[in-house]
Amino acid sequence: MECLRTWFNTIFIGGAAVAWLAISTAVAAPFLWLKSSNRDQAVRKFVYIQSRGIVFFMRLAGQGLQIETEKRPEGSCVIVANHASALDLYTVAACGFCNVVYVTKGWVFKLPFFRYVMQGAGYIDAEKTSPIAMLELCRKAIARGCDIVLFPQGSRKDPHARFKSGAFYLAEQLHLPVIPMAIAGTQRMLPAGSFWIRPAKIVLKTFAAVTAQSYPGELGHLHMAQDVKKQIMDFVDQQNVVPNMNY
Amino acid sequence: MITREEIIRRTNDALKKEFEFSDAQLVPTAQLKDDLCLDSLDAVDMVVVLEQQFGVTLRQGYDLRTIVTLNDLYDFIEKLAREHHK
Repeated sequence: MECLRTWFNTIFIGGAAVAWLAISTAVAAPFLWLKSSNRDQAVRKFVYIQSRGIVFFMRLAGQGLQIETEKRPEGSCVIVANHASALDLYTVAACGFCNVVYVTKGWVFKLPFFRYVMQGAGYIDAEKTSPIAMLELCRKAIARGCDIVLFPQGSRKDPHARFKSGAFYLAEQLHLPVIPMAIAGTQRMLPAGSFWIRPAKIVLKTFAAVTAQSYPGELGHLHMAQDVKKQIMDFVDQQNVVPNMNY
Repeated sequence: MITREEIIRRTNDALKKEFEFSDAQLVPTAQLKDDLCLDSLDAVDMVVVLEQQFGVTLRQGYDLRTIVTLNDLYDFIEKLAREHHK
């Protein structure tokens, strides 16, 4: 039964999701391109709407989507989440974060079509940007009211990989609170290296924000990374959504 | 004077605690950047961790860019310990 559902999800829902991405981009691109002021903000809004669409398809393909959110602090934040699936990018919108700048790996900026959206939205290439330039770009994004989103594991290959401390160092330097976000179930629905869309229950949770003040000392950002990872991964492990790679 | 075995044990313990490495990863030939995936910020953090572990200052007067593998790191700390002992 699950096998049949996987075929259906992949062919019909996956196909519809790809069509949604392609058609919405084709329709919106001329308007976004012609927009002379605040184009980056308009592109981010467009990405948010597109992401909500993908979340709708995830609901159709899955066995429920549960979202638990804590009240967020006023002003910009750094949002950090675990990363085990390409779908994780879209779940950020499901939690209500609508004006975000992603800091991502360089290869995403080389993808056809996507790269124009990434550049237009003012997303940051973590590999091309020096630490000082990144701080400056993030400052500019904050001035425009954006949240900064990072996946500190840096890769989808190992769902339990270490959280690198760069995101937390960034938050420390920019005096921003960090919102930990747990994503469970996407690794079962669409694991790294697979194109089969399996039925799975997806659970998203944002935790209360943490600040650098709670982590003094030269290694504060490193210890914040360890604590946030524990909080997120404990929650993800409790959800019991281990990927099934049998087919 | 601190022995090489002691240096290896204390270095590995510190790296395991702070960077979540396993024993299998911490082989002397492991390259800090390519095998252990330590980025530039991790390298700075590692220096602080080792300073705290061995009670020495590594940030001034040394070219740490020559340290490529874990073995280079053990050699470097051993050399420092020898200089300190003189």
